[in-house]
Amino acid sequence: MMLSALILIPLAGAIVTSLWPQEWPADRIRKIALAAQGISLIWVGWLATQYNITLPGMQFVSSLAWIESLGLTYRLGLDGLSLPLLFVNSLLGAIAVYSSPVTIRRPRLYFSLMLVISSAVAGAFLAQNLLLFFIFYELELIPLYLLIAIWGGARRGYAATKFLIYTAISGILILGGFLGLVWLSGASTFDYDPGFAQTLTLVEQSVLLVALLIGFGIKIPLFPFHTWLPDAHVEASTPISVLLAGVLLKLGTYGLVRFGLQLFPAAWSEFAPWLAGWAVVSVLYGSFAAIAQRDMKKMVAYSSIGHMGYVLLATAADTPLSILGTVMQMVSHGLISGLLFLLVGVVYAKTGTRDLTVLRGLLNPERGLPIVGSLMILGVMASAGIPGMVGFISEFVVFRGSFLAFPAQTLLCMIGSGLTAVYFLLLVNRAFFGRLAIRPPSDAVEPDLNLPRVSWSDRVPAVVLAIVIVALGLQPVWLSRWSEATIVALRSPIVELAEASTPAVLCETSTTFPCAL
Amino acid sequence: MTNTLPKPQSSVHPLQSFIDRLLRGEAMLPHSPTNLLEVVGILKSYGMVLDAYSKNLIYIAEEQFLVLFPFFKYFNGEVSFAKLLKHWNHDRINYEYAEYCMRTMLWHGGGGLDAYLDSPEFKAACEVAVQAKIKTNLPLRALHRLFPEFLPEQVRQSAYYSGLGQFWTVMAEIFLTLSDRYDNGEIPDIPAVVKYIKDGLVAAANVPITYSVTISGQKFDIIPDSLGLTFLPDTAIPYVEAVFFRGTPFWGTVSYNAQAQQISPDQSRFTYGALYADPLPTGGVGIPPTLLMQDMRHFLPDYLHDYYRQGLRGEDDLHVQITQSFQKSMFCVTSAALQGLLPHSAETTVPDEQAANQAFLASWMDRLMTSRIHVVQLSDR
Repeated sequence: MMLSALILIPLAGAIVTSLWPQEWPADRIRKIALAAQGISLIWVGWLATQYNITLPGMQFVSSLAWIESLGLTYRLGLDGLSLPLLFVNSLLGAIAVYSSPVTIRRPRLYFSLMLVISSAVAGAFLAQNLLLFFIFYELELIPLYLLIAIWGGARRGYAATKFLIYTAISGILILGGFLGLVWLSGASTFDYDPGFAQTLTLVEQSVLLVALLIGFGIKIPLFPFHTWLPDAHVEASTPISVLLAGVLLKLGTYGLVRFGLQLFPAAWSEFAPWLAGWAVVSVLYGSFAAIAQRDMKKMVAYSSIGHMGYVLLATAADTPLSILGTVMQMVSHGLISGLLFLLVGVVYAKTGTRDLTVLRGLLNPERGLPIVGSLMILGVMASAGIPGMVGFISEFVVFRGSFLAFPAQTLLCMIGSGLTAVYFLLLVNRAFFGRLAIRPPSDAVEPDLNLPRVSWSDRVPAVVLAIVIVALGLQPVWLSRWSEATIVALRSPIVELAEASTPAVLCETSTTFPCAL
Repeated sequence: MTNTLPKPQSSVHPLQSFIDRLLRGEAMLPHSPTNLLEVVGILKSYGMVLDAYSKNLIYIAEEQFLVLFPFFKYFNGEVSFAKLLKHWNHDRINYEYAEYCMRTMLWHGGGGLDAYLDSPEFKAACEVAVQAKIKTNLPLRALHRLFPEFLPEQVRQSAYYSGLGQFWTVMAEIFLTLSDRYDNGEIPDIPAVVKYIKDGLVAAANVPITYSVTISGQKFDIIPDSLGLTFLPDTAIPYVEAVFFRGTPFWGTVSYNAQAQQISPDQSRFTYGALYADPLPTGGVGIPPTLLMQDMRHFLPDYLHDYYRQGLRGEDDLHVQITQSFQKSMFCVTSAALQGLLPHSAETTVPDEQAANQAFLASWMDRLMTSRIHVVQLSDR
């Protein structure tokens, strides 16, 4: 029940907001949704206080038989991999609701869909049954499709349909992988068990792993399955972009670590060098594509593709430090991309454009968006891995953890980190420095530009994220402490075997992670 | 067949409409109730600030003469701990702005004052005062011995301190009395504002500009009365030229790229003055327009402050709004100055005199082609 609450609280909020018989103003519905997300966030915080960071396995496990003939069990568990992601889900869920305008059309449907997404994502992070994970994974699909299709931009129909098709294929592949795994292993239940694939041949493991890799690769997304993401971001409203980049993409990377790596360790180790190469391609493609963008939102979207590549690299490396890096990078990217999308949203709301060829001088102290601009500079610095913010430590751990396993690929990915500074400096330089302008220069005599006032309610969500980004950057142990014990236990038998051959004296004189390297 | 003959040049100046307005006694700024409110209101606060600036400039010129480290020059002789705290807290008049303007005048020169400061007469008068000052000051004496041009240059600067102080004393009086007249309902429109300022300038045109210092109880004339320097030609016109037109390319006054050689090497072609200033500076602190706007903010009349609060960003962009109003008011002051300097009466019917007036105004309009004259015509803020 402790874990089910994280699914039920937003779900209850969704039911109340959508089905309450009385007519409510949009502001009240928004407050109820915010309350539901706030209670979820508090609940995650409370769970964290009850969570034993020294125990490696699942905690607070609850299991209820559901459809036994199918092997479907309502089985939930919490470990160091899912706890930080649940925090990001609840935090960004609350921020997405808060940053949604009170004037939104059809507020009952809008906020209830957002709450359903939060509920489904929490369920996916907690699910300890493959079918249950799939159900939650698919459950967030329709609400997100509707949120883009109804409240999106001009090409929302195209973007939403593209998103739906891509992620439906992703779901089919994942379901196929899960069904194949259980069928070939001869198991009678879909309950999560890392030993599922022990009886499978390497070929069988490889086939199933490929299905999961493509399935989760679409969701993450990785090159060349990424094309739905920039369209979805551009057409989605700001709060939906925050959810999409900050939370929903993490389902892919989480699935990669939880199911790809853990269920198929032998095949994974065979595929690892290729996966690291894939990560390089994805990182560099995302970075170079971001440089070429003129739409701020597309630039941040392509940046996501690049930064998600780091997670693939670290997962491929499969060292304790790199796996810790995956968790940290998922959280870090969730927070930073959430911040950047929020700020791009404010810029768009106030200027009416995201076009980097016309936006100039938004840091103007009195008529521009100076605080938004300052937060944007902080956000892009965090994304580029400047020390003192969570982006640095997560990328550092990813690269440090991956370097010994795949030095060349790691170095190439580090180029991607440098490219992040390039495209985000382009963004900041174009949009925020120089003389204030939101239109191309012309010979016409025009009055001095006057942008609408930015209220503190526009800034508060970004300020909250910025504080968390800096706090976790200055004190990364607040982020890593939840996952360390779990990650040691999560490691694949292959690596355990290699580590067993490490001279004991080295292990005794070293901490766990350097020893394992 | 290709026509190779040069096209006949249009005889109508691109800013002819403004020339016509000036000849009709109107201003380069069109009349509207909000323009009137902005101009008179901002000139009221400008007058308050100019009054403080002028007193301080004259104090520095007379009481801080050849004080090489004038730590308390902005205190006007009243040094107290409370005033020091206020100074550090920066809740004070930014006298630095007045010094920027003084140095801008010193740099661009022009007028009788500039010519006099390069003359042997000035050198002689200056040397007498310097000798009196260094008689009991050994470090200064050594400095003067080593660098004989240093102290005279300081005295030239002091002369500009005094000259600008005297100019602003007159202008502050004009602007403050203009405000009083407006409050009494005697200023109905923008042309009336321009006329009032023009009359004030004309009335003060022959006010003598003098400067003397007292050293050890003895008075030394640096700019003697006998020299005949007067308000209009020797301070007002150089001031308008230096501050309204040329200015200095401070960041914040205009946006420019010095590396792309957007700053002319010829300072007579500078167009960074108040009539060209960009109210949307790229940021930064300590730049002259920012300082002046900060100062004027303290003295805004209520009606103008209320008007600013009704803007899209309310108080958030107060400095920008003040800059816009200030620029409008400076077009009015420039209008008054140009009307006062017309070679012949604006109402003349003599063709030669009309042509001379036209040529005179056209030469100024040539310089205003790149100014903000078109923007201030718009009613939007």
